[in-house]
Amino acid sequence: MIEVFLAMLLSPVLCSLPVAFAWLIDPKPEWARKLPILAVVGLFISLICALQILFSPDRLVKSDWLPEFNINFVFIIDYLSKIMGTLTALIAFLIGVYGLEYMKHDYRLGWYWFFFNLFTASMLLVVYSDNLLMLLIGWEGLGLASWGLIGHWFRDDDELSYVGEVGRKVAGQNYFWSPSTGGWRAISTIRVGDMPMFFAIAAIYFFTGTLNISEIHWEEFAKEVGSFGIFLILFLFMLGPFTKSAQLPFSEWLMTAMTGPTTVSALLHSATMVAAGTYLFMRLSWYIEPWNLHSEGIEAIYIIVLFLGLISAFYGASVALGCLERKVLLAASTMSSLGLMFASTAACAWVGKIAILVGFWYLVTHAFAKATLFLVAGHLIHETHDRFCVGGKEVAKHLKLAFIATIVATLFLSGIPPLTAYWVKSAMDGVMHSLEHHFGYLPLFLLVVTSAIYSAFLAKFLSLNFWKGKEVHIHPHGGGLMSLAYIAMASMLILLLYIYLTGEGFTKLHEFAHFVEEGFLTSSLMVGIIVLVTYLLALYKPRLESPIGKALGDRLYMPFLNDYIVPKFGWFLAKIADYGNRLIDFTCHQAIPSLFEVYSLGVRSIQSGSMERYVKIVVAVVLIVFLISAGMGVTI
Amino acid sequence: MIIFLIAILIAVFAAVVSYWNPKISAVMSVLAVLMAIPYSPFASLILAIAILNVVSLLAIRRNQIVGVDYAIIALMSLATVYSFITSNLAELLLLFVVVSTPTYLLVMIGEERLNVEIGIKYVTFMVLATVLFIIGAVTLYHAHLTQDLSLYAIGFVALLLGLALEVGIAPLHEWVPDVFESANPIAVSVIASLAKFVPFIVAYKVLMATATLAATQILLILAVISAISMFIGNIGALTAKSASRILAYSTIANMGYILATFAAITAPKEFVYYAIAGGLLQLFVNAFGKIGFFNAVKDGSSSFNAYLLSFSFIGLPPLMGFWSKLFIIYALVFSNFLWLAIILVLNSAISVPYYLRLVRLVGTGWKFSITNTVTLFCALAMLVTLVPPSWFLELVVGGFR
Repeated sequence: MIEVFLAMLLSPVLCSLPVAFAWLIDPKPEWARKLPILAVVGLFISLICALQILFSPDRLVKSDWLPEFNINFVFIIDYLSKIMGTLTALIAFLIGVYGLEYMKHDYRLGWYWFFFNLFTASMLLVVYSDNLLMLLIGWEGLGLASWGLIGHWFRDDDELSYVGEVGRKVAGQNYFWSPSTGGWRAISTIRVGDMPMFFAIAAIYFFTGTLNISEIHWEEFAKEVGSFGIFLILFLFMLGPFTKSAQLPFSEWLMTAMTGPTTVSALLHSATMVAAGTYLFMRLSWYIEPWNLHSEGIEAIYIIVLFLGLISAFYGASVALGCLERKVLLAASTMSSLGLMFASTAACAWVGKIAILVGFWYLVTHAFAKATLFLVAGHLIHETHDRFCVGGKEVAKHLKLAFIATIVATLFLSGIPPLTAYWVKSAMDGVMHSLEHHFGYLPLFLLVVTSAIYSAFLAKFLSLNFWKGKEVHIHPHGGGLMSLAYIAMASMLILLLYIYLTGEGFTKLHEFAHFVEEGFLTSSLMVGIIVLVTYLLALYKPRLESPIGKALGDRLYMPFLNDYIVPKFGWFLAKIADYGNRLIDFTCHQAIPSLFEVYSLGVRSIQSGSMERYVKIVVAVVLIVFLISAGMGVTI
Repeated sequence: MIIFLIAILIAVFAAVVSYWNPKISAVMSVLAVLMAIPYSPFASLILAIAILNVVSLLAIRRNQIVGVDYAIIALMSLATVYSFITSNLAELLLLFVVVSTPTYLLVMIGEERLNVEIGIKYVTFMVLATVLFIIGAVTLYHAHLTQDLSLYAIGFVALLLGLALEVGIAPLHEWVPDVFESANPIAVSVIASLAKFVPFIVAYKVLMATATLAATQILLILAVISAISMFIGNIGALTAKSASRILAYSTIANMGYILATFAAITAPKEFVYYAIAGGLLQLFVNAFGKIGFFNAVKDGSSSFNAYLLSFSFIGLPPLMGFWSKLFIIYALVFSNFLWLAIILVLNSAISVPYYLRLVRLVGTGWKFSITNTVTLFCALAMLVTLVPPSWFLELVVGGFR
């Protein structure tokens, strides 16, 4: 079995090396433009391996590396990892196929494909790792690859790759971001979370003696370190997922990550990297089983995650509602969905395992739908040469497949009965409803409002790009491979719907029966109708000029946190460091040397050459020392 | 004993023969020196120094006592080897004088004219030193016999001050920079190397025999003086301009390091051995280093050799200077003189700049000459400790039982 894992993790990286080296040795290797196909073959091998794992029984696959430190290759095959791994490999492969056409004329394919495939391998490592340190290696690989991919167009020479209106200033601050800034913002934000997470992992190893998530005795661990201890460790740990999944206040990097190629946005910022945070939280919850524990510290963590998720979901949806940039709109909506996943998973502390399953299947549904939308957005940007939502009926006529895929994705994702997301969302309504005893109706209310806004901006996206947007003239040519990819992606939603409804799908999972049961409740249907109404409203009237909308479109001025407050604080620290530096410089280069110099000259000034003087000194010293010793001799 | 007498006779004969041919004198002196090899485990190292001294004296063949100087070296080295063997106080004090007096002659020699002024300066202090040292040693023995503590303190201090004046420990170091600067570098190389052993060995032997009365306060005076010597030597060297002066201050600092080992004299036996091993090894470092550097002062040297010598003085492993300091520090730490050990380490750090400066001053490039060859051999001697010198420690344990 370990061979399958090795093949899965290594094949994408190895297959991307030829194209990477081609660009390394030759700045313009026109001969190597076909090599990316090999890279996609690597992704395909990964997919085959993932499928092989999907159909094998649950178990741990171990291979020793540094056993004395409990750092080993421990791959886990369980419910979550099987499906998540397959999802990752499938989406990566489909986007890889799309990328073959989308990136055809790019100026550095070596860089792109190497990091794209490295990213996929890292993500698979994160998904299947049971060992926290191996997981962290994959986790850091994600960060590195995301930096490389977001900043892919490092020359910052194409306004089409920027985020925000180029040249715009708000309160003296640039309100647009280049790809290189985007890459920097991503990696710097993620590092903020990774560091505490690293220390938390060290603490977990210190107290439990193991790094394998499935082998940690969480109950004993919680008892050993006390309520506050477990709270602190888990909170530090969760900072990693929070930053990776762009929850408040770490959301800004995800918005400016849209400076990367669209394929990158589709892979990293819909289905995989940002979902890695929520996935890790699900995996942890799966084994912590907080519904069985009575630890105030753990409960406090779940309360924080629940509300942070809900508030981030609400914020993300509102921002998406006001946003007019295709990809930024989708990024904000992704953030919103991630919030819902966190919230739903966190509810497991009171509701039980079903809450994790709801969150997880929402992740799967969202991944396909959002990836589809990103791919469509990429195709639209390609054809219209515009980042903002433009396009009337002519676009819909010329790009029929894109149009159809968008309709399917938006309808299926917004939670309109009886389409795919409706069943998961219904179950989510049920989960939030059961929190009534603990938090009243607040979680349910936030969820419903978020869902309503969510469906509205999805409809807006559809309407502004294919129906009521500004008319543009396009002359599409090619695009077959791209269309194929997103149609395949969208059709996965229909497959999912089939799985949910039959309940006897190939995985034979009974939680789908629960989804369906929840879906037939009147309350769920009511929410479904609200969602449908907002969808139709937004479809009919996609634009509404208002200052509130403007503020929402400016992301409620959150960029000032990253671009003004944090740098100011950083410069303050730098200033302090600078003063410390100068003090050290002064001490080491001026004060101490001149002290030595003065002393040294003093020592040497004795040497006048005068014999008389020397004898005087010697006699004086001899007498003084004799006096001292005589005094001592008496006292002894 | 007979062998030593014969060797001394040969040396005297060599001095006489030098009226006809100084070269024969050199050969005979070396021969006399070699005769002592079987009698002490330290002999071969001492004799290596002596032979290097004789060879470097060949570079100033136009001096006033040419021929006799080789015999003087032979006499001094025989006395040094003998000082390792004997434990008789009278003999030890005699050896002290035997080694000290010939240097009065050496300090005055020059290639053009006799250096009388510096000779007078040197002799004045040496006479004072000899008087203090002998009075101190005798007083110590007497105090030890009568168990008189206050007399012991006086004797200890007298011995200490005599030793300080003799080898140039601050604050009684005034003659050192002047003599090192003005006298002939080759002559100084003898004073700074071979002449330093006997005073310390005699002091070790006297103090070890009478150490039972040494009180902490008295050792404190000693420790303070050694610390003063380290600081004055190293800091004085920092701004000294000529190579000779740097070497003078370096000698003051090195004598401070060696004096520090006396602080461990009342410690348990194994640490005393470490202290003596450290002190002796530092004496060897100082001797080889000073011979090498003074020869370089006379005639330049390849900078590789100069670097090797400097690094050894600074105390970089695996050179000899590292091990000597390690032994000293080890002994100090385990005899409750941690602060002195820290001061020693600090001083090693302070010494880095001027030793490197020294390399630039004397490292003018390799020439094929006697002095350059001597420097090369001195530099190679620093590599003796590529084999970690536990063997040296064993020699000390055997020799000072």
